[in-house]
Amino acid sequence: MTSPDRIPDTPLFDRPRANAGYALNKMAMGLSSPEGRAAFLADEDAYLDRFALTPDQRAAVKARDWAEMVRLGGNLFYILKISAVDPTPIREIGAAQAGMDLQEFLDTRLGKVTNG
Amino acid sequence: MAELLAGLGTSHVPSIAAALDKGLRDSDEWKPFFDGYVPAQDWVAGHKPDIAVVIFNDHGNSFFLDRVPTLALGVADEYRPADEGWGPRPVPNFIGAADFAWHLADRMVEGHFDPLICRELDVDHGMQVPMELVFGRPDAWPVKVVPILVNTIQYPIPTPQRMWDLGRLLREAIASYPTDEKILVMGTGGLSHQLQGARAGFINPQADREWIAKIGADPARYRAMSREDYVEEFGSEGAELIMWLVMRGCMDADVRTLHQHYFAPASMTGAGMVLLENMR
Repeated sequence: MTSPDRIPDTPLFDRPRANAGYALNKMAMGLSSPEGRAAFLADEDAYLDRFALTPDQRAAVKARDWAEMVRLGGNLFYILKISAVDPTPIREIGAAQAGMDLQEFLDTRLGKVTNG
Repeated sequence: MAELLAGLGTSHVPSIAAALDKGLRDSDEWKPFFDGYVPAQDWVAGHKPDIAVVIFNDHGNSFFLDRVPTLALGVADEYRPADEGWGPRPVPNFIGAADFAWHLADRMVEGHFDPLICRELDVDHGMQVPMELVFGRPDAWPVKVVPILVNTIQYPIPTPQRMWDLGRLLREAIASYPTDEKILVMGTGGLSHQLQGARAGFINPQADREWIAKIGADPARYRAMSREDYVEEFGSEGAELIMWLVMRGCMDADVRTLHQHYFAPASMTGAGMVLLENMR
């Protein structure tokens, strides 16, 4: 489903991805209202049933598998709203996509040296 | 006629907003970042702009993928902070400069830019953060605003040259506006960052510093770069930097860099600002 990207490991949000991820991103967009967030928190399965997710997409959401969500057409600006109902720091989402633990991600990508 | 007071380029990273909301302005992690904006804040406060034109991208908050305007222009009387998932942030509503916005709408369409014209619009951190970085957190904003929203998420995004040309048009719109108001043009986004894919966390401080140094004095290269060049050099979301070209394009060829600042990383992003004034 993905188009070949000229820049390695950099999935541009183009037509194939926007098509593949439309329902997934729409599900996440629903979390930008208090009603959507309440419904997700009350019964995640019932909330997800409202959207035409593929089985793979549904499994990725349930597992909070950020790399897989992106691979299946999720765009961070939308799926990030999942972290508003299930708090996850953005750097952990980055590390998960990079396939690193958080400290390795901070050290090698961001040059971040934490104190202590 | 109205006056272009200055051009300001700045990051609009949402973590900046979160840091302010959590009271971390003076924490060890954030103080050097925020302190670097103080000279520009003081300059702007002393020169009292009337209107801020803010060029930014929506981040999936005002618009969903069901309809994606390549360019959108706010003509509203008032804009509320958007609910990005955590509830609207406690910043004042923004008062629109509706008269100038409609004048700009006329000039844009006559100049063959055709924006979505927005009468009712909530605005996300792309506009909130630059306003807070320049004006702090007042009870009421000291300027009226005109939001210009650029699609930088779903491809095709507009080209760098197109952003520059929009800046040229904005320059004419300011020059032909029959008031004596002073206008601050704010190009926002960047600097280098990437949120998506296995290259997530990519930043490029060297390229960022070069951008900060050259966007005023020598911007030709940045007009000529392709969108893919931006993604490669600044990361997939670092391509937001094309919106600084609207600001730079509306200024004279010769500008003076009044203030500049760079800090990395702010969350996962190279962050900073530049304040430019036309040579007169």
